[in-house]
Amino acid sequence: MRWLGSLHAEWTKLRTLPSTWWLLAATVVLTAALGAAAASSVTTRICPTPCNADTTKLTLSGVQLSQAICLVLGALSIGAEYSTGTIRTTLTAMPGRWRVLTSKAAVLSLLTAVAGAVGVLSSLGLARLILPTPPDGALLRPATGSILILVLVTLLGLSLATLLRDTAGSITLGLGILYVVPILSHLVNSPTWQHRLQRWAPMPAGLSIQATKNLGALAIAPWPGLGVLAAYAVGLLGAGGVWFRLRDA
Amino acid sequence: MWDVPLASLSMSDASIEVRDLRKRFGRTLAVDGLSFRVEPGTVTGFVGPNGAGKSTTMRSLLGLDTPDEGRALIGGRPYHALRTPLLEVGALLDAAALHPARRGRDHLRWLANSHGLPMRRVDEVLEQVGMEQAARRRAGGYSLGMRQRLGIAAALLGDPAVLLLDEPVNGLDPEGIQWIRALLRHLATEGRAILVSSHLMSELEDTADHLVVIGRGRLIADTAVADLLAAASGDRVRLRTSSRTEAMELLAREGGTVAVVDRDLLTVTGLPAERVVELLSVSRVPFAEVGAHRASLEEAYMELTRDAVEFTSTPAGTDEVNR
Repeated sequence: MRWLGSLHAEWTKLRTLPSTWWLLAATVVLTAALGAAAASSVTTRICPTPCNADTTKLTLSGVQLSQAICLVLGALSIGAEYSTGTIRTTLTAMPGRWRVLTSKAAVLSLLTAVAGAVGVLSSLGLARLILPTPPDGALLRPATGSILILVLVTLLGLSLATLLRDTAGSITLGLGILYVVPILSHLVNSPTWQHRLQRWAPMPAGLSIQATKNLGALAIAPWPGLGVLAAYAVGLLGAGGVWFRLRDA
Repeated sequence: MWDVPLASLSMSDASIEVRDLRKRFGRTLAVDGLSFRVEPGTVTGFVGPNGAGKSTTMRSLLGLDTPDEGRALIGGRPYHALRTPLLEVGALLDAAALHPARRGRDHLRWLANSHGLPMRRVDEVLEQVGMEQAARRRAGGYSLGMRQRLGIAAALLGDPAVLLLDEPVNGLDPEGIQWIRALLRHLATEGRAILVSSHLMSELEDTADHLVVIGRGRLIADTAVADLLAAASGDRVRLRTSSRTEAMELLAREGGTVAVVDRDLLTVTGLPAERVVELLSVSRVPFAEVGAHRASLEEAYMELTRDAVEFTSTPAGTDEVNR
């Protein structure tokens, strides 16, 4: 019963802020629009029939940007509680700190999953209209994987903001982890290190779930790759939870 | 939706107890071995200058801060042991703690949801604090007084037997101050235990039955307001007269100690009021008013803290030496 109460409270908190809905709408639009734009860039010249390019991955490339919105959504959900001071109200109503954090995580996951599903399905639908040879075959793994990426990045934002107790700081750190590490991998000269960064940095590893062609060339296989991102999100959420429990509010 | 009976902590169990509480933040000792108890049916004023440790004590009672030593109990139990905390303790810590983009009513809604309270209860407390209209607006546009009212509504939501209010009078207009005084008196007569902190003693005049005065994290006084006022008032008599010099000479000759308060106002010690009237009448010294002097709470507080200064100044001194 107490869990139901916490979940209900966190759901009401999220849904009564206009920013939640703006961010979720932006996730859908960015995912679909960028996917459609990427799909329109495909011409028969670079992709003759039969096409060798991974059009599924291309169609879902909007996720690479819309995940940043999810990071913000996750970070705001607890960062704003610290900046406004409502975290104390939350903890007097729900003194179980793990319960608060997991309820937030559950509600955020559900909302992001729904928005992600709408975005991903729209991308695939638009691609069918745009592409000369629409993505076919095994769409289930890249599609559900893309939704899971968005959910995990939201949790990453929540974890970082729980650890840092600061929205701006956690978003900056989160963007760094997501985007700067892959850029670094292009800057290092050593192929060994390039390979390692592609394998263990959360974003490149997670995005391998979208690949449908030439899987042998991937630095990490699709599901293990998503597992790397999940390990970051869940590991940091656990660390955030321990820290949340131990510190004075 | 499930229904939770209101007031799960019965009024007779309503108590707040702090025992040997100690809490250090870095080098500052915020609370230093504090003990006191708040009984049901009383409004206890929790007074001390800013930084005396009032908020830390309240946060410890609410399970937000973990004390280094000692216990902070509500109805004999630590906060985290309460199954339905909002039904047992109502707290107002920081009225400004509202998300500016959330409507006031929605703030109460999520609190109600956390305990499965019906929405009817949200509307009831909003009506009780006079915020039915304003609660439809986003909290970013609220005045401090409106935030205080919403915070009090949140504290009352679960109809709790124990109330902890940190500086609830701050930011209220005179009408609001009257309102909250009446409300607190009313809530206490219902048998609730109420702890109200303030850094201004005058705010608690006519509201508090009991006072817990702290300074630098230590207890300075734990006393009934009536006793404190009686002690501070002493056996002084107030006398208003236009013939100040004559009256002073006469009363001093008869063994009174006379002090000048104002141009036509004197206080007399050592003579009962009837004797003063008798002496003045016999000697035909005109006077307008004679009565027992009643000290204000502020005066009593000043007297109290004056004695406590030496006692409280040591901890900071040792801190400086340790650096």
